[in-house]
Amino acid sequence: MKKDVFVALSLLTAFLFISYAVTVRDVLGIAENPLRPLGEFYLSHAFAHEGLTSHSPEVVTAIVWNYRGFDTLFETFVFFLAIMGALSVLRLTREQGMEVRALEAREPHRHMDTITRTTTKLVVVMIVSISASIALHGHLTPGGGFQAGSAMAVATLLLFAAFSKFTLERQGLTLRHTISAYALGLAIILATVIAPVLLYGGKVLEIDLLPGETGLFNLDVGEYTAVTFGFLTVFLALGVPEWIFKLVLRREVK
Amino acid sequence: MIELHLIILAIVVSFGFVFSYLAMKERDLLKALALSSVQSTFFALGFYILAAPDIVLAYLAIAVGAYTALVILAINKTERYEVGE
Repeated sequence: MKKDVFVALSLLTAFLFISYAVTVRDVLGIAENPLRPLGEFYLSHAFAHEGLTSHSPEVVTAIVWNYRGFDTLFETFVFFLAIMGALSVLRLTREQGMEVRALEAREPHRHMDTITRTTTKLVVVMIVSISASIALHGHLTPGGGFQAGSAMAVATLLLFAAFSKFTLERQGLTLRHTISAYALGLAIILATVIAPVLLYGGKVLEIDLLPGETGLFNLDVGEYTAVTFGFLTVFLALGVPEWIFKLVLRREVK
Repeated sequence: MIELHLIILAIVVSFGFVFSYLAMKERDLLKALALSSVQSTFFALGFYILAAPDIVLAYLAIAVGAYTALVILAINKTERYEVGE
């Protein structure tokens, strides 16, 4: 225990010393050169009336989806691969899925008490409205599709915790629906990326190809849908109780 | 020379550092997860002081919400206490 404290304190001292040297004494020379030419280009062009502009006062979103659009597109594909990997590891056949649903329906109906449920309802409404404002204003104020989508997924997780997963599944939030909505989000992104190339010519994700700020707005909305329902897909797939999953899989082995 | 926001940043990130150390040493995985989300909250404050609101929005939702839920689901499928040595 004494050794642990010693290790922690020495690491903390080293960290404070390094941060003091970098920020206050400026040993790396970061403060002398505050804005590099590339940064200056982004700041002067992101919200201009001519040239390579993306009509967005939010420079971060402009960089994420326009100037560095390919990075974000491939990030979306990586997220897609992660979700497909999780789904294929936790896959069930049609009969097994029906069996799991029958077993889950027999589980005792559990949810939290009235105070928690009412508070959760209020908080969820607030989180959903905030996430919508983050996504739909993503090209004007800080935020964007990914941030809003993860906030929305958290709101649904609160519902999972307070009302149980089975209640939500009975209300219609099933794996099939979340996967369909996820595909819809990806379709919006792909349409925004490919449609202007077919319509106007030019390159994929070329800057200033779509009129005004529609490009950034569409991409934010697509990413919002994709991230929300992508996370929900994983949570629903992982949320099957372990004993039911084992029971079904053991039957497969026999 | 020393500005106030840098001092606040140092304090906040040091707290995050301490909590990440506690999370590593904790044997009860659920407690470790709670400590880790406290650490993420401190780091999110640090990002806010560094004027990166986009990162704050993503980081809070992912590190406190989605990551915690995924790890709770994973712990649910194994055991709660870390055994070893």
